[in-house]
Amino acid sequence: MIEVAADRMNLTDVSASEWREIDRLEGPKTECRRLMDLGLTPGERVAVVRSTPMGGPIIVVVRGTQLALRRREASWIQVK
Amino acid sequence: MKAPTAEVEDGAKPPRSLTVCLVGMPNSGKTTLMNALTGGNFHTANYPGITVSLLEGRSRPELGPPISLVDLPGVHSAVDPSPEEELSCRVIEGKNTAVVPDAFALVVDATQLERHLKFAAFVARQGKPVVLVLTMVDLLKRTGQTLDVARLSEALRMPVVTVDARQGVGASRLLERIRRATEEVQEPGELAGLGDDPIEAYSGVRRLLRRAGALEQDPKVEQDSLTARIDRIALHKHFGFPLFILVLVVLFASIFWLAQPFMDAVDGLFGGAGDVFIGMFPDSIVTRFIAEGLIGGVGAVAVFFPQIIILFFLMTLLEDSGYLARGATLVDRPLSYLGLHGRSFVPMLSGFACAIPAVFASRSIPTLRERLLTIWVIPLMSCSARLPVYALLLAALLPGAAGKAGLSLAAIYVASLLIGSASAGLIGRIAFPGESSSMLAMELPVYRVPRWKIILRMTWARSSSYLKKAGGPIVVIAIILWVLSSFGPGTAVAGLDAGDAAPLIVESEMDASFAAGLGRIMEPIFRPMGVDWRVGVGLISAFAAREVFVSAMAIVFHVEGEDDESQSSGLLAAMRTATFAGTDQPVFTPASMVGLIVFFFFSLQCVATVAVVRRETNSWRFATIQLVFYTGLGYAAAVATVQGLRLVGVA
Repeated sequence: MIEVAADRMNLTDVSASEWREIDRLEGPKTECRRLMDLGLTPGERVAVVRSTPMGGPIIVVVRGTQLALRRREASWIQVK
Repeated sequence: MKAPTAEVEDGAKPPRSLTVCLVGMPNSGKTTLMNALTGGNFHTANYPGITVSLLEGRSRPELGPPISLVDLPGVHSAVDPSPEEELSCRVIEGKNTAVVPDAFALVVDATQLERHLKFAAFVARQGKPVVLVLTMVDLLKRTGQTLDVARLSEALRMPVVTVDARQGVGASRLLERIRRATEEVQEPGELAGLGDDPIEAYSGVRRLLRRAGALEQDPKVEQDSLTARIDRIALHKHFGFPLFILVLVVLFASIFWLAQPFMDAVDGLFGGAGDVFIGMFPDSIVTRFIAEGLIGGVGAVAVFFPQIIILFFLMTLLEDSGYLARGATLVDRPLSYLGLHGRSFVPMLSGFACAIPAVFASRSIPTLRERLLTIWVIPLMSCSARLPVYALLLAALLPGAAGKAGLSLAAIYVASLLIGSASAGLIGRIAFPGESSSMLAMELPVYRVPRWKIILRMTWARSSSYLKKAGGPIVVIAIILWVLSSFGPGTAVAGLDAGDAAPLIVESEMDASFAAGLGRIMEPIFRPMGVDWRVGVGLISAFAAREVFVSAMAIVFHVEGEDDESQSSGLLAAMRTATFAGTDQPVFTPASMVGLIVFFFFSLQCVATVAVVRRETNSWRFATIQLVFYTGLGYAAAVATVQGLRLVGVA
């Protein structure tokens, strides 16, 4: 799992204010299910609004809502 | 106003009138709506997941035949729920016997229709009458949306009512519609057909909204611009954290600056009342009981109520504006390093007001490990009950130096945060080793201009419930202490004349009283802390509530409001001249007073907190370990401080 294809990208790689489409969620099952319940479903458009200091959570906008996600959670969300 | 609210306890019998549950996602405006419907005082914070227990109320009489209303905690997702989400889900599914809803008022944020309607599907599936309540309609302009309510209702095949809960508009229309819905034959509606799978449910919701053409989005507006502008500063890479610290410092500092004039007024009032009372009635045991025991004991604590009310006011203001959720986001990283959670921040901050609501507030923390750890550190947060004690001891320790006393107090607050955090880090590693697997995934509500009416109403609700809670023990302990310290065993006085039937109880001097007898037995425990049995009596009675210590001091040192002297300066004077019995060695030395502050810093002297922790953790073991650990730590630290200071030459 060390090699990562160049075109693979998750939410932590997206620069601020850039809209992306969620491709799929790759992470623990229950947690990903919860993220989807919050509106982060594949096919939906999402943008990173800003990141907080000291490696803190990142703020994303999805379905008109601001969500604070820890970087670990954001890294499960694959975008294209 | 009579508060028509009550916490719903397990086993409460279902009321006869119509029961309607307010359900929805966190921050949908349920509790504000509850306020508008009942005219009652509720916790209505602009922070996701703040409703921590079921609130029950009755609709206002102006709104027609009474309906019994229950406000359920907000639910993000029925999958892997936190305890409060689970509670709501059980009630919605009809699995909770305490609350059996006849109908639901499904509260939906109009600016976030897709997300809220997806949750709505879960409620609609239960087959009970549902009325959709749209809130935040006034914010649609800010998010660039236009909504056609009639078309929405048609598309969902469900009654839809808009309300402005903050203004109380639409309340009677809503209740009218709910009454009608319970009489009609209920058709399932379109939402009930949506499945449990989030991908399908979301696309189903979108399909319904598109088909009806109910919702239009201005493509140029992607999020609320006011919120974006404030967050640019509040969550700024460099300034965000310093600003957060500044907000906290201003919060704690203004408690003292703002409260001072009010405190002087209350102090003068009680001091004067005692004098007037003594002057009005002939000297008797009853007169003295009321003047010394009641007015003296209660007055010593009442002085600190202004500070407590101001603390509640500022915290409510911070919550209502939406900033608290940002604070929680900012501290998530450092707190998660300690084994806590961003959501631990609000309970910890509440802990500075009172540990009891703080322990309740920790229900919004998703994982058990982080919840228990948060409950573990809450008693270390410097609660408002400690305030009177610190204020008294600091005034005695640093006479005439209000500036120094204020700074020392701020230092105590900061230390309680730091030591609390360290304690969490340490205990977390010992008691719950291994990685935490929790999630943050927290919604940040839009900023809103605080509505003063709501904030003042809530400040009053919180303060009065605090006063009611604290007031009882203060009066009861004041009475018991006054009796114990004013009466003694009869044989001590009349013992020589064995032939007569000597009274068992006689009025006596402090030194010959019951309290003295009991205190002297326990004196060896308190001697290492550098204090005598009288302070020991105060420390023991402070287990009922910490602030009782102050009134206990006023009673055991027999303080009366003398002439122009106010209550607290009388107590300070008595403390300055107090000596160990039979010596001229002062009791309140710098060393012993610092020792007392250290003791109160750690010690868990609050029966109510222990009871609530026991209830919330469902574990006597946890509550007992916490009590013994903190109180033992407080005693050990106090003894070490006093003996250490004496070693380096501080008396």
